[in-house]
Formats: sequence, structure tokens, C-alpha cells
Amino acid sequence: MFKTLFQALKNTLNPCIKRWPLSYSLSLIIASLAFFPVIILFTLASDSVQMFDARNLDILSNTLLLMLFTGGGAVIIGVPLALLLTYVNIPWRRFWLILLTAPLALPSYLGAFTFYAAFGAGGEIENMLGITTPAVNGLFGSSLIMVLYTYPFVLLSTRSALSSLDASQVYAARTLGMSLLPSIWFVVLPRIRNAITGGALLAAMYALSDFGTPAIMGLNTFTSEIYVEYNAFGLSQAAMLSLQLLAVVALMLYMESKVNVSKEPPGRHLTFWPSPWQTKLLLLATLPVVIFSIFLPLAVFSLWLWREGVSSFDIQYAINSGYASLIAAVVAVIFALPLAYAATKGKAGRIMERITFIGFGIPGIVMGTALVYTGLQLPFLYQTLGLLILAYVLRFLPLAVGTIRSSTESLDGALVNAARVLGAKPKEAYRRITLPLTMRGVVAGAALVFLEVMRELPATLLLGPIGFETLSTYLWRVYEAGYFGRAAIPGLLLFFISGLGLAIMFSTERWGSVTLNERSSR
Amino acid sequence: MQRRTFIKTLSYLGVVSALPFLSAQSFAAPSKAISVDDLPELTGELTLYLGRGEGGLYEDVLNAIKKRNPNFTLRIRRGPTAALANTIMAEAKAGVRQADLFWAVDSGAIGQIVGAGLAQKLPNDLTEQLQSEFRFNDWAPISGRIRTLPYNPTRVTADKVPDDIMALPDSDLSIAWAPAYASFQSFITAMRILEGDDATTKWLKAMNKKAKKYAGELGVVMAVERGEVDVGLANHYYTLRLKSGKPDANLDLAFTKNDAGCLVNASGILALKQSKTATDFMRYLLSKEVQTYLSGEAYEIPLAGQLPPPSGIPSLTEISPPAIDLTKLADLRPTLVLMRNAGVL
Repeated sequence: MFKTLFQALKNTLNPCIKRWPLSYSLSLIIASLAFFPVIILFTLASDSVQMFDARNLDILSNTLLLMLFTGGGAVIIGVPLALLLTYVNIPWRRFWLILLTAPLALPSYLGAFTFYAAFGAGGEIENMLGITTPAVNGLFGSSLIMVLYTYPFVLLSTRSALSSLDASQVYAARTLGMSLLPSIWFVVLPRIRNAITGGALLAAMYALSDFGTPAIMGLNTFTSEIYVEYNAFGLSQAAMLSLQLLAVVALMLYMESKVNVSKEPPGRHLTFWPSPWQTKLLLLATLPVVIFSIFLPLAVFSLWLWREGVSSFDIQYAINSGYASLIAAVVAVIFALPLAYAATKGKAGRIMERITFIGFGIPGIVMGTALVYTGLQLPFLYQTLGLLILAYVLRFLPLAVGTIRSSTESLDGALVNAARVLGAKPKEAYRRITLPLTMRGVVAGAALVFLEVMRELPATLLLGPIGFETLSTYLWRVYEAGYFGRAAIPGLLLFFISGLGLAIMFSTERWGSVTLNERSSR
Repeated sequence: MQRRTFIKTLSYLGVVSALPFLSAQSFAAPSKAISVDDLPELTGELTLYLGRGEGGLYEDVLNAIKKRNPNFTLRIRRGPTAALANTIMAEAKAGVRQADLFWAVDSGAIGQIVGAGLAQKLPNDLTEQLQSEFRFNDWAPISGRIRTLPYNPTRVTADKVPDDIMALPDSDLSIAWAPAYASFQSFITAMRILEGDDATTKWLKAMNKKAKKYAGELGVVMAVERGEVDVGLANHYYTLRLKSGKPDANLDLAFTKNDAGCLVNASGILALKQSKTATDFMRYLLSKEVQTYLSGEAYEIPLAGQLPPPSGIPSLTEISPPAIDLTKLADLRPTLVLMRNAGVL
């Protein structure tokens, strides 16, 4: 199947190969690869007669509301945090960045479960403190959990856009008498709206494809319908419903692509120097997020660990998680660069880039099975680490493509042109101008893929080499069996390994970067 | 020594089946539990697809088997039962058969693979270890679970819980259920087979008016214990496990009589490739030691050899589960249609 696909590819490419830039050819290959599992879903769905009915419409509204609240909530939390972590000079800035990004590594169903267990009448909070808290459930509960475990999508994509933004316009606005907050609202945010909507899109698509959280919160969504079908051995029905869900994905992708951004040259970096008490206040304001997304689940797990007693745990799981995620992050970025570049070059490139997003909106377990079929096309690679990495890359390519593209498309071409005029070859101009300026986007993309792979489950279970256990598969095992106390240590390690991986990635952020007037501004 | 006792057992079985009277009796009652000491040593390599991890318990069993058989390598892939079943189907279609064995937590998934003709036939002496209603040609049930009505004794007394599942919606009890949960759907499938579609639809509609929905049956049992509701619908082991962690839990078990409400369902194993090691491995799972361990630690009901049930529930002879062919429970789709029409799913 791959061979014929490749042949077809070549045939379409041959006549126009001269006019097509290299990035287009590469993009076409990668986009076809990423789209392949979706084609498999079409063949799987072909013997199904399941169609939308009035009932589906009802649960569809739940799904749409959940997406809307998740996207909106992720922006409300993610953007201020990105502003804080980029523009404000706070002590231990990278530590805070890593801490506030790490929630993305925790599977949201675990967060949902700990919220369910902690809140409400008879919950752990009441048991411990005697205070009755309202139960967290339904649409509100699902949205809250989703926001807590998806806002880093917005945080990272916004941060990478903010850091390449020229500060002079803010200074001008301030000089002309605009106060701080309006100047951020009117001068900063409009220039990075593509990055914000890009992050919100990812958060909304995650909400669309997740099953565990709404199930625990008692919210009936389109995805729960798909899971019921899948578990009742109606694979073709599940595939058909997933494809119908893609209509929503397509609509979102279309809307997001309408968000335009003006091109501008990079400039000096904006920095605020708050007084010590302001710093403390700002950091204090981030505490609720840290408490709810990291501390609460770990506390609840530890409580159960204390009740159930310690059991053995193999550290190899954490190592497996770490290196598989790192490799996947690097490969995903390498695959994403030509796509992001092509997306800024023209309509065809833009379409190819959009295609890679589609798979991200498909519920995990259905996508996992589609990837099994994809993997079986390469029997010699089936259930090897190499294929698993490829599966990760195909699933999470949009995370890297999105952030890299949003940092590429606001780039003004003047710098590259200047380099070319000064005699640099296109390759050199890319290496010395474009790449350093998009490096933050690249690292943000890698970080997103890394964290998302840390919590990935279905592909790891079905396509990993036999006996390949990761933190996320182990967490799933103990959760399924109801031995929640055993989730405490791997849960903690999940955050620790994520932090370590992020530290490595963020340390490469400044590779080859040009310090634009930074020194003179101090 | 081990080998000799095993050969002795084999020859004994041979004698038994030669005598018509005795063999009829041996069909009615399962053969006595076989100890692992009487089983042949496992050699070579097997790949097992294991539907659900079940924490450390299945793990402990598998580790014990590995430890006992140093010349045997067991490779395990864990995953959600339906996802592994779909993977096995995909592999069969592509002609890449990876797994030797499939151990599923749910007999529906077994029915799916058996229905696709992918399961190998099992030897008679293996199936004869099982209780007569659990004997199948091409798969072996390992352990059972029973549908129960967990109730909160501080809110309701045992005699107030109806012993007829069909009468449950007419009671004035508040009820918790998890209709999206696979075991629940198997139970509705059984009800459909026993009572017919109309009665089941009526029951579902009546229940839907008063029952509170939960994501899974652990949630149901937790809700009963918290006192959110009077009674729930759940597999027996959730109650036993919750009580083992919290002995003073406000939780007790009630059973219905001779209807789908006390259906006994089973996890099961099947062989995807014909091999002596694979069948011998199944014998280990049916051995006295493994069956006793699963019952003692995971609170599952032993189905091979004449072993007692886990403490906290009556034996299968004291309760009256409905007579139903478990492989028929794979017929889930009509059940889902019914549940949807009743507005439950």
C-alpha cells in the first residue's frame, strides 16, 4: 500500500518538480504519511450504516460546549502565564516555566479521577478536613479538568510568539500615555493572536478526542458514544462516528486558518522589573493552577499510597517514558519544519499543513487501531520501537507544526532578503536567520510533543515493543485495577521526568540566537 | 517425580473415560483441582495478549509461573480488551500473527475472536477441569464474577432489596448504575436473552427514570458506600475489594434469584496458535494454586476444580445464577440499540 502511495506521489510530483520548492515535496510525503491512518478509518468505516441522528445532535452540543469552554479557559489561564513567564523578570524563571508546563504530561483522566475522589460529599477533602466541598462533575467539571491539563498548549505557543516580538511598539504606546494593561491588550495581544488561537485549537481538539475525563465527570459526549461502540466490538461504527467528528475538526481548522497576523521584524525583548512584593504576588497568583493540576492529584495518590502501603515499582518504566518521548519530540520537529515552512509559502503548503492536524481530533483508541493497521503495512517494523516513535510523530505532528508555523509566519522576509543580498545561499540564510528566529517555536513544539507522548496511551499499548512499559501504561494498569495508591510514585516521576526533559529542551532555546539590542536596552 | 504423577493423572483420566458410567459422572462434576506440581514443565516462548492489567495480581500469577519454569519465556502485551481483540483481528487479516494466547477479562471479546474462527480447539482433559456449564471447545474460562446488588446497610435493610431484578425499578430504593460499563452491557444482553426485548426495554426505561449514572462500577460501589444512593448494580469484586481496604465500609451484597441480575460471567483464555506449551500454560491458570490465589487476592470466583468461592460471597451452588451460554453474550450490538432506544446510553 505504501509502495503504490509513493508511486502516485512521485507521478504527481514529476511534472512539477522544478516549480515546487523542496519544502513542498517533503511536506507532501509527511502529510500523506500523517493522513494515512485517516484513510484506514475510511476503509474500516465503509461497512457501517451508522449516521447522525437526533440523539447524536444532542450529545454533539455537549461536545461543542466542552470544546468551547476548554479552548476559552486554556486561553484565560495560558496567556497571562505566558506574559508572566516571558516579560516579567521573576527569580527562577525557567523553574516556573517547567513547573507550569508539566501538567500537560499527566493524563487528564487521572486528574479527573482525583477531583472526583477529592471533592463532594464523602470525598477525601471532607474525610481529611471535615469541610464539605461541592462535587466537581458534569460540563463544568469536565471543562475545568480539561483546562487544567491543556492550558500549557496555549502557554507554550503564546510564549514562543511573545519572545520574538519587538518591544518598541509597547514602549511607544506607554510613552504616548497608554497604561500597562491596555497596552498589552491593544498592542501586544493582537500581534500574537495566531499563536493564541493555535494553542486554543489544540486544547479544543484534545477536549474533543478525550474520553476518560467526560466519562468520569458523567458528561455524555460524542466521544463517549464512540467508545461505547468500540468496546461493543463495533469498530466500523466507531470509525464512522470518528470520521463524522472530523467535520467539527475541519470547521475549527478552517476558522483558525482565517486568523491573520501581520509580518514584522523581530526586535528588542520586553522586560518588566517588578518590585519584590509584586513578584511574590504574581507568583502567588499562579499557585491555584499548580495546586489543582499537580499538587492535588499527587496528594490524593499519596494518601492512598499511605493507606495501601508501598509496592514495588520498576524505574525502567520512567526511563522508557523519558527517552521514547525525547526521540519522538526530536523526530516530530524534524518532520514539522518543512511543513511549517511550506505553510508560509503558499496555499498548497497551507493545505498540507492543515491535513496533519486531522488525526489529532480522532479519539485515541480508534486512532490506536488505525495506527495498528498502518503499522501492519510494514510487517518487519511492526511492534518495534521505531514504529512506535513513528506512530507518536504522526499523532502529535500538529503540536510541533502549529507552534513552529505561528512563529515562522510572523517573520518579516526582509532579514532573509538582506542576508541573500549580502551573498548568503538560501541554506545559509535559513540556518543563520530563519532557524534562530524560530528556535523558540521549535523548542515549544518539541516540548508539547514530548509532554503529550509522556501521557500517550493507546499507541504505546498496542504498538510498543512487547514488554515495553512506560509511566503512562503503568498508571493505566493500576488505575484499571483500582490500586490507586500505586499511582503515587509513577505520578511523581511523571512530573519529574517531564521537568528534566523540558529543562534539556529549554536549554537549547538560545542556540544560534542573535541578541538583538538586548544589551543596549539594559 | 513430577512427571510421573502427571502421567499417573493422565492415565487415570484415560481409565475414567473408558468406563461409561464414571465418564458421565465426570462430565457432570469437574475433575478435582490439579496442583501445579502435577503439571508438565513449560519450555520455549509464548506471547500473551492480556486484556487489562488487573494490577499486580495477574502479574503475580504470571511471575509465579515464570519463576517455576526457568526454561520458559513469557512475553506480555497489555491493553484494553476490545483494543486487543481488534488488534488480533487486524494481525490475522495482515497475516502477521503475533500472539499465541489471548487472555480477556470479558467473555464478549473471547466470543468475538472465537466467532472469527481464530481460536484453536482445546483438549478435552483441559475443559473437563471446569464446571460443566463453563466448558467450551475453543476457550477456557479462568475465573468468574457475579452480578450483585451492593447496598448501604445504614440506609436500607437486606429484606428491602428485591430478589427479582425485574422488580427493582418498582421498589422505592434510590439506585446507582453504570450503563456504559462493559459488564453491565453483558448483563443486559443476558436479560435480553432470558426475558425478551420488550421486557428489557421496559425495565431499562423504568430504571432510567430513577437510577443515577456513574462512569464505572467502582464508582457505583463508592457511591453506595458514601450513601449517595441505597443500592447499586455492580460486579461482586468491587464491593469485596473496597471492603478489604476499608473493613468498616457501609456496604453489603444482595443477590437476585435465577435471573440476569445474578449472571455469572467469566474472564477467559484462548489459543491463537496450536502449541503444547500454550495448552500447558492454560493448565497452569486452571491449577489449584492459581485459582485459589485469584479467589483469595482478587476476589474472583474459581471455575476449575471444586474450589470454594472468595470469602464474603456464597458459593455458586447456594445462589441461583441463570443458565446461559456465555459466548452468546458477545452479541452486544442489539443490546446497545435497545439501550439507546430506551435513552440509557
